[in-house]
Amino acid sequence: MHNTLTRVQNVFGFFTSVAFAVAAAIAMSVLLSPQTPSASLELRNVQVVKGRPHYYSTKREEYAHVKFDLDADLTSLFSWNTKQLFLYITASYPSSDPTIIPPSEAVIWDAIIPSDYAPLHPNTYIHPTSKTAPKPKKSAKGKGKKEVGKPYPAGASPGIVRLDNQKPKYQITDVSGKIAERENATLTLHWNVQPWVGALVWTNTKTVGRWQGLQGGEAKFAFPPLKGTEVKKDDLKTETGGERNRGSPA
Amino acid sequence: MFGSLASLQPRQLAAQVLNFALVLSTAFMLWKGLSVFADSSSPIVVVLSGSMEPAFQRGDLLFLWNRGQETQVGEVVVYNVRGKDIPIVHRVIQRFGGGSTPLQLLTKGDNNAADDTELYARGQSYLDRSQDVIGSVVGYVPFVGYVTILLSEYPWLKTAMLVFMALTVVLQRE
Repeated sequence: MHNTLTRVQNVFGFFTSVAFAVAAAIAMSVLLSPQTPSASLELRNVQVVKGRPHYYSTKREEYAHVKFDLDADLTSLFSWNTKQLFLYITASYPSSDPTIIPPSEAVIWDAIIPSDYAPLHPNTYIHPTSKTAPKPKKSAKGKGKKEVGKPYPAGASPGIVRLDNQKPKYQITDVSGKIAERENATLTLHWNVQPWVGALVWTNTKTVGRWQGLQGGEAKFAFPPLKGTEVKKDDLKTETGGERNRGSPA
Repeated sequence: MFGSLASLQPRQLAAQVLNFALVLSTAFMLWKGLSVFADSSSPIVVVLSGSMEPAFQRGDLLFLWNRGQETQVGEVVVYNVRGKDIPIVHRVIQRFGGGSTPLQLLTKGDNNAADDTELYARGQSYLDRSQDVIGSVVGYVPFVGYVTILLSEYPWLKTAMLVFMALTVVLQRE
């Protein structure tokens, strides 16, 4: 009853039970932290062109390039149990048969905003700095420390996003190859809160307890007709994200 | 050491064996019960690659739920490539269909710049929600699953662990 093995077993068993209980408490405590998310999303420009949007595209198809403005305040989503916020904007449009088939949806832009306590990872969103902000002075040493951008504007905190005429990260294609002149399309802001431990949470538009639903974050638009050859290649450039694995997926 | 084993009555030995079998079958039935509850063939998976960093690291444990057939864009799904047995955990970035037609999904890892079109089987451009997807991630516990990765990458660890467990069982008889 009092040999070393029994003591080790008891200690280990107790450690496991306590760790499990603490993890469960942390996961459940998220419900107590209030959330007041708000965002304003506006379409800036949408163009539909015919071409090969992906490096693996074998045939020409119609694809849409959507630029948008975003002003979001999602700081209340960052609680003690938030590891990162995965923000994404989708464009959804009705299917060919809206009565029986739900709308099609595609992500045009996404951003990973880590909490300040998360360990540094290269795959992080770098918020574009405003052009009028003063440039940081170059370090006096020969090889200065590389200034890494923050995932939020200068002076703000994680969750504040202010984008103006933002290029998308992905072009929108439809499985049929045609996307021009589709009506009733919607641009929507979504998020996915990644916890340190517990349940993953997605966008809530309805208020649940202390969590208020998202106000705003939607913009309606329609895909324009196919543009001819007047579109400059520069206008169709997409934003590069922080993903480390470039090229073929692992 | 083995003398103590031989001195056990046959009834005690049988009781020990039955106990052991009961523990094994309880664990097995808990797993299968969870599979039925979540409607997934593998309701708990361990993250094997770094393609979803920084959200999921290698060794994280994920809890899956497979009862929501209308998978939305932004959900993280676990799927098997047709013909292969390796589960891949990636995020849905496009969806077409649904309702009465098969729901087609395109996925991409958070840490991959390219989407998963090259990972799918030859001639397959999209995942079929009902056929390829094992489940959608609803919960997450960090690091706990790293033991299984170690066991599969270093097979000698498995034998070492079994020998260690057998030794403790035998030595406890003293």
